[in-house]
Amino acid sequence: MENTKTRYIAKVAILSALATVIMFIETPIPFMPPFLKLDLSELIVMLGAFALGPLAGVLIELVKNLVHVAFTITGGIGELANFIVGCAYVVPAAIIYSRNKNIKTAIIGLIAGSISMVVVAAFMNYLVLIPLYVKIFAEQFGTTFDKSLQSIVQTSAQKNSGIIDLKTLILFGVIPFNAIKVVIISLLTFITYKKVSPILKV
Amino acid sequence: MINNITLGQYVPGNSVLHRLDPRTKIIWTAALMVAIFMVDSWNEYVMMGSFTLILLLISGVPVKQTLRGIKPLVFILLLTALLNIFFVEGTVIFRIGPVKATYEGLISAVKLFLRLVMLVTTASLMTLTTTPMSMTDGIEKLLKPFGRIGVPSHEIAMMMSIALRFIPTLLEEAQRIMKAQSSRGADFDTGNIFQRLKSFIPVLIPLFVSAFKRADELAEAMESRCYRGGEGRTRLKTINFTRLDLMASLFVIVFLMLMFGYRFIF
Repeated sequence: MENTKTRYIAKVAILSALATVIMFIETPIPFMPPFLKLDLSELIVMLGAFALGPLAGVLIELVKNLVHVAFTITGGIGELANFIVGCAYVVPAAIIYSRNKNIKTAIIGLIAGSISMVVVAAFMNYLVLIPLYVKIFAEQFGTTFDKSLQSIVQTSAQKNSGIIDLKTLILFGVIPFNAIKVVIISLLTFITYKKVSPILKV
Repeated sequence: MINNITLGQYVPGNSVLHRLDPRTKIIWTAALMVAIFMVDSWNEYVMMGSFTLILLLISGVPVKQTLRGIKPLVFILLLTALLNIFFVEGTVIFRIGPVKATYEGLISAVKLFLRLVMLVTTASLMTLTTTPMSMTDGIEKLLKPFGRIGVPSHEIAMMMSIALRFIPTLLEEAQRIMKAQSSRGADFDTGNIFQRLKSFIPVLIPLFVSAFKRADELAEAMESRCYRGGEGRTRLKTINFTRLDLMASLFVIVFLMLMFGYRFIF
């Protein structure tokens, strides 16, 4: 069976559907706020990108999030964040793996993807999400931007003495969570990869 | 647990909002959401709120249906409202030990609540009145101009429609595999988080493999029906920008101009 464009479209489409399905049956981590859910759909995207290349990874991520907009209530903001972070995870891994498809490149790829995802997520939180959140929720309510940012940081500081400003908030709050999340997903991906690798290497 | 997921939130109907071109709806929903973020004074809250209410009434969607969208937000809403009431500085209403509730905090909590409700209502009004399929058509048409810089708009739309078509099938399949593994003694609901995650692997692997097989069959079926990309393809349902869309667009533009033009005059 040759790999035609139609075949590529069909595979990317069905894997996107599968990723969306997995997004629905995702397991939240107990005692974590619901918006920090563990998203197992990245596992499917990663395997798809291993099988079809980095571009397919981006496309699956895109279609998954576009379809998810039909179910959403946040008007696409959560989907945009998921798309960017997801791509940061999948693309480096798929590039490394596509050069030479074996178990070693798969492991190196997963590690590189994990690091890149944590870094991108931290930057995105620092540059966009937290400032945006503060702006939307606090700015016009009698407090200024800096003041409300300060109070968020202070609230966190009471729990962890290492937190003194936004940078350290991300360092101690956002990075560890994302790191745990990405390590769990990568481990699961690796276990699954070993079982399905015969069909990935075609 | 999987059964109660309906595909999208679409509520069938024949209102003006249902009949609008999906492109019109996508563009103006985005514009209105930006506007809601910019709402500031009480006057603007009242104007924006009544506009949202009018849209809701026009749509003919049961209010209960719209409110369902707010449910998952209740937790965050309450938390932020409490933080606002107790942490914003201002005139003290009452205090419990070291914490004090302020008038300004109460006001800001109310504003926050209104703002989120308006956002959710506006965003869900689009998904409530547009089928996922016509949303896909709308996205394809909106992406078309980007085709010149290499965005494959037809292919992306094709993938979206296939994905939408196969989500129920794959959900069913996932359910079947989970039942099959349960009958072999698999346990998905007990144990700590790691055990639970691990129990999903015997579901994920067959699911992934069968999805791959299904894609091959689908490609075969498409090729044997001579599918060859978007060029010259005709469709069963075409979407058109009609006079209704023009009027709706003008309506929104006039409203937005009134609302924010008023800022510059006073």
